[in-house]
Amino acid sequence: MMMDIGLVVFGGLSWAMATFLVAAGLTLIFGILHILNFAHGGFFMVGAYLAWAMIEALGGGVSIWTYIAVALVSGAVVGALGVLVDVTIFRRLRDVEDAYALIATYALLMVCIGAIELIWGLDFRAIMPPEALNSALFIGDLIAPTFTIFIIVCGVVVYVALEVFMARTETGKLVRIVAHDAWMARLLGLDVTRIYLITVVISFALAGLAGGLLVANQGLSPELGGVFLLQAFGVVIVGGMGSIRGAFLAALLLGQIESIGGMLFPNYPGIFYLVALAGLLLIRPQGLLTKGRTEWV
Amino acid sequence: MTRLTRRHLLASAGAAASIPLFAPGIVRGQTAIPIGLVTPLSGPQQLIGDAVRVGAEIAVEGINEAGGIDGRQVALEIRDSKANPNDATVAARELTGAGVNLQLGAISSTVALAMGTMMEGEGGIMITSGAGSEKINHENYSPHVFRVGDNPYTRAHGMVQHVADTQPDVNKWVGIIPDHEYGRTTWAVFIDAMAKRWEQTTGNRPEIPDPILVPYGAGDYKTFIAQATRLKPQGIFTSVYGGDAVTLYQQAKPFGLFDNLDVLVDSSNEFLVASAMGNQVPRGWTGFHWYYKANTGNPISDRLYDEYVNRTGSQYPLGWAAEAQAAVLAYKASIEKTGSTETQAVIDGLKGLTFDSATGPRTIRAEDNQAIKNAEMAFIEPSNSAEAGFEVTDSISIDGADVIEAANPGEKLELTTL
Repeated sequence: MMMDIGLVVFGGLSWAMATFLVAAGLTLIFGILHILNFAHGGFFMVGAYLAWAMIEALGGGVSIWTYIAVALVSGAVVGALGVLVDVTIFRRLRDVEDAYALIATYALLMVCIGAIELIWGLDFRAIMPPEALNSALFIGDLIAPTFTIFIIVCGVVVYVALEVFMARTETGKLVRIVAHDAWMARLLGLDVTRIYLITVVISFALAGLAGGLLVANQGLSPELGGVFLLQAFGVVIVGGMGSIRGAFLAALLLGQIESIGGMLFPNYPGIFYLVALAGLLLIRPQGLLTKGRTEWV
Repeated sequence: MTRLTRRHLLASAGAAASIPLFAPGIVRGQTAIPIGLVTPLSGPQQLIGDAVRVGAEIAVEGINEAGGIDGRQVALEIRDSKANPNDATVAARELTGAGVNLQLGAISSTVALAMGTMMEGEGGIMITSGAGSEKINHENYSPHVFRVGDNPYTRAHGMVQHVADTQPDVNKWVGIIPDHEYGRTTWAVFIDAMAKRWEQTTGNRPEIPDPILVPYGAGDYKTFIAQATRLKPQGIFTSVYGGDAVTLYQQAKPFGLFDNLDVLVDSSNEFLVASAMGNQVPRGWTGFHWYYKANTGNPISDRLYDEYVNRTGSQYPLGWAAEAQAAVLAYKASIEKTGSTETQAVIDGLKGLTFDSATGPRTIRAEDNQAIKNAEMAFIEPSNSAEAGFEVTDSISIDGADVIEAANPGEKLELTTL
């Protein structure tokens, strides 16, 4: 019984932090730009492929520090792609209806998939975690893979870093002001366009970082972009659109529900996430922590 | 009265001249036999669809180089099914409307099942190229749909018989099965094979709990892996497929799940997982539509392998290419047998037909349009000396006649449970 509880909690944490890593950038960009960015999964995938390519170029087996450095470089490269996307696409979407933004970001996702197919082809790819993370801790009967513990730690670190950035840095405070009222911020003389750009870059960098960190946990194919997207959207919606803290809590909650459901009803895998999503939206449609659409952090 | 101007005349002449360029099956004034290829060339199954296309192209070019079918060249008309029944039926209907009644290329069960009614209505034929559902030749049987490859029943019974013969002490099994139509079919026929063959061959009753069902396209399988690990199986049967299988094997590594097994039986991943994982691939048996080395010396197989490598650069061809090649060769044999490309004549020719393929002779049963074909499997192991990081250390080809189910078209396949 103790082992079952440990398995449920650990499995739920694993699901939660992997999903939060992807959802963090998604909720950030929605909180500021009010764009539901379907292409987020695509840029997560680009980050994963970049990390795979770099690790392969380094000979395959890398140390944990090299692995982290590669993930950071992936995040930086994808963040730079965010500049391009903001200048060429997102700026044009700010004064149009939401439906256009949805179509545009979906098209951008297709572009990501096409680019991956052109550069790396259709074959499945995989790399293993660094040697130091390719084992497991045995706690009684509970088996805890060290790579999963690493991902859980990364999820917490990213969450704390975002909280600190938003609450304690000048740029973070400016981002919050724009999120609250962009019109007033512009009247007060703030360079709202620049703050939007910073937000997009951070969001994209988070997608690339998530891809780089999770690459050793996923088979790579041009379909990878969709793997976490549904889960991440669920976490963003349940947490409250635009709320990083809400997304973090929602990931923890949905992860545990999914894990408990999988243990109690193994013949219905994956369904508890959807049931929980529907139930939570019925109970609290505005999300766990959000009172209004733009109120966040 | 319409006045015929020189401009009208030139336009009409141009249009007439362009007809041979666009009308299917008309090549350089000689009527070619058009064969339609409707297979996924985009989306999640494009990787398989590309192999199907390559196999069909190699077959058609081989036939044309050898003089065609009864002196007529063959023209391949290619359409993208997107692995979606709606898109596939639209593409197939467009082809039949253009006179392309002979088609192949369905690789997913849902597409193959959607083809039956449509082809009967449109007067066409579909030969599947790897579709797995047992319903194709049972409750959803259609006289217009043929399967020239093995079905999950044949493959599962072949695999179980081989493991029972070689590793009879493996008695504690666990299944890791994708939660969709194909996954549940593979599990049902695996249990049927265990019930009918294991105890009879080994004298032991196997211990098999309910399968661990995993969602399609999930990013995290660790909860399911932990469940499987705690059961301490000796053998695992899995039909998790493609990228999901890579993720599953990758995430299972720290658990030691597949490393501590006596035997792993992977129903269908061929080289897909090994090519991705290299020397991290778990050692075990995997099912193949066509494993080229098991057919070395067969000229059809040798040519397919050489051409496939030339065109794709891959040393590890996917067996779906051989299924497409076999479909084209079956059409050729049927047309030569009956002397006609009319739908009913080709159907009559295909029924009971024995023809050569990359895996040796295949016979299409007249009762249910299901081919009797060898079940092939290979044992893949990680290898630090092999360039690809893995090598095949054993392979077998089991006579399909020994492991195929009885034909009962229109009836549900009756399976035994433990």
